[in-house]
Amino acid sequence: MSDESQKSPADAERARPLLVLDDVYAGYGRAAMVLRGLTVEVPPRTVVCLVGPNGAGKSTVLKVASGLLRPREGRVLVDGADVTGQGPQQMLRSGLAHVLQGHSVFREMTVEENVLLGAYTIGDRARIAERVAFVRELFPVVGERWKQLAGLLSGGQQKQVEFARSLMIDPKVVLLDEPSMGLDPRTTATVFQQITRMRDAGTAVLLVEQNARRALETADLGCVLDLGRVHISGPAAELLADRRLSELYLGGRPKAAS
Amino acid sequence: MDGTLLFQSLVLGVLLGGLYAILAAGLTLYFGVMRVVMIAHAAFVILAAYLAWYFHRETGLDPLFSMVFTVPLFFGIGVLIQRVLITRLRPATLTMMSVLLTFAVALLIEGLLGLAWSGTQRRVQLSYSGSNFEFFGARIAVVKLIAFGLAAVSLALLFLLLKKTRFGLALRATIQHREAAQLVGIRTDRVAGVGFGIGLATAAIGGTALSLDATIYPSLHWSWIGPLMAIIVVGGLGSIPGTAIAALVLGIGQSLLQVELGTTWAQTLFYIALFVTLMLRPQGFFGGRLAQRF
Repeated sequence: MSDESQKSPADAERARPLLVLDDVYAGYGRAAMVLRGLTVEVPPRTVVCLVGPNGAGKSTVLKVASGLLRPREGRVLVDGADVTGQGPQQMLRSGLAHVLQGHSVFREMTVEENVLLGAYTIGDRARIAERVAFVRELFPVVGERWKQLAGLLSGGQQKQVEFARSLMIDPKVVLLDEPSMGLDPRTTATVFQQITRMRDAGTAVLLVEQNARRALETADLGCVLDLGRVHISGPAAELLADRRLSELYLGGRPKAAS
Repeated sequence: MDGTLLFQSLVLGVLLGGLYAILAAGLTLYFGVMRVVMIAHAAFVILAAYLAWYFHRETGLDPLFSMVFTVPLFFGIGVLIQRVLITRLRPATLTMMSVLLTFAVALLIEGLLGLAWSGTQRRVQLSYSGSNFEFFGARIAVVKLIAFGLAAVSLALLFLLLKKTRFGLALRATIQHREAAQLVGIRTDRVAGVGFGIGLATAAIGGTALSLDATIYPSLHWSWIGPLMAIIVVGGLGSIPGTAIAALVLGIGQSLLQVELGTTWAQTLFYIALFVTLMLRPQGFFGGRLAQRF
């Protein structure tokens, strides 16, 4: 918790947020809205964590941010620019990278091909080489497994390949959907360390997690999501210390703490 | 079976397998990219064979030249089928519904062929139709060798396209994880359309190759689609090299069995291979280690 001294909530509010979801309504097909008036902000160099029960709409928030799902109402702003309703390609260009839930490496390709696909939209070879060097340093395991098939790596290693792939475009904000899903506790610890390292390397992170307590320990800011909107938000440490909240969301329900 | 006959069957099996490989390549591509079961693929093959025959009858030129028209035409039709018909299917039921949809397309093509050229059996007659040559004691028909060469060249090109080009990379990424492919900036709907077009273009090549050495009639496609489906399952759905290997193995097997059992029973090899694959190794025998499972 050493960065609490450098990053008081007041500081975070003063900096212009890199990503803003403003009063967003979104849903799938004709079913009821999943997000109902959701507002979230991600300031620079910050890990923001969304926690909440199953079905609260956590993954949907990320899908709206990365353009996989168009919001019905509300706005999406990246670094001040309105990008509402754009598709994944444009969102990527404006600096949002999305790491999906579960395993999303290209299984039959090598780690190298996976990482290079992260730079699919980049034409400049020198810049690609620079980014490759950067992600290999940030995630040593990626370099060690460079020529191996990504599908044959362990779950934790695959996650790091996905992180590396998402960082190739030098994103402003990385959206991480349940990065600890299906990982054992030790690997989970590694993955959370890597998230902190990503932030320290200059990328803001919007994190969605079932593993709420663990995620809030890593995050700077936290938002509690329920029924499609943010109920409580604030510095992660304060949310963790709140006993009523703990009972409701961080351990009171067996699923949220697993 | 004496040595010469065995060798003859083996060579014919390889040539047949090559033809199977190009005919099945498109099928595995559609399934790999879009999870579409394309029942109409063999109908398009027969359509291309008819167009080759018609082209030869009208112009007197070698039917191989018909590919100048049919390959781009089929590519365009493929893109259209994907963008206009397939995308309308709901993703959740896409594979099942694609069977019905493409079954209808197959019936439509069969009906139109009958309407245009009647149900009469047709055959291309060429100056080299009856030519043979000797190959270490085996007699090989020139037309079979041409068909094989055509298949080998187009499969090699397809393989290079998938392995060495930027489009190939995007296509493979789309096959392996569509949403992740979108999230690295690949326009997966466009890639799927072009992928479908390429699949149908292989039907044009395969159909032309077939027309050199086969008697064709509108309902012929029904006897092809079964073996082709079996080949792509044995080879590992979505894998082009797997399909090529399975096509060769089954082609050789069929050719060898034909000597002892006759053509009808030799055909059952495909269905036995299909059952064995689904029982023992549903991801296919020659696909990647991580190929799609049913």
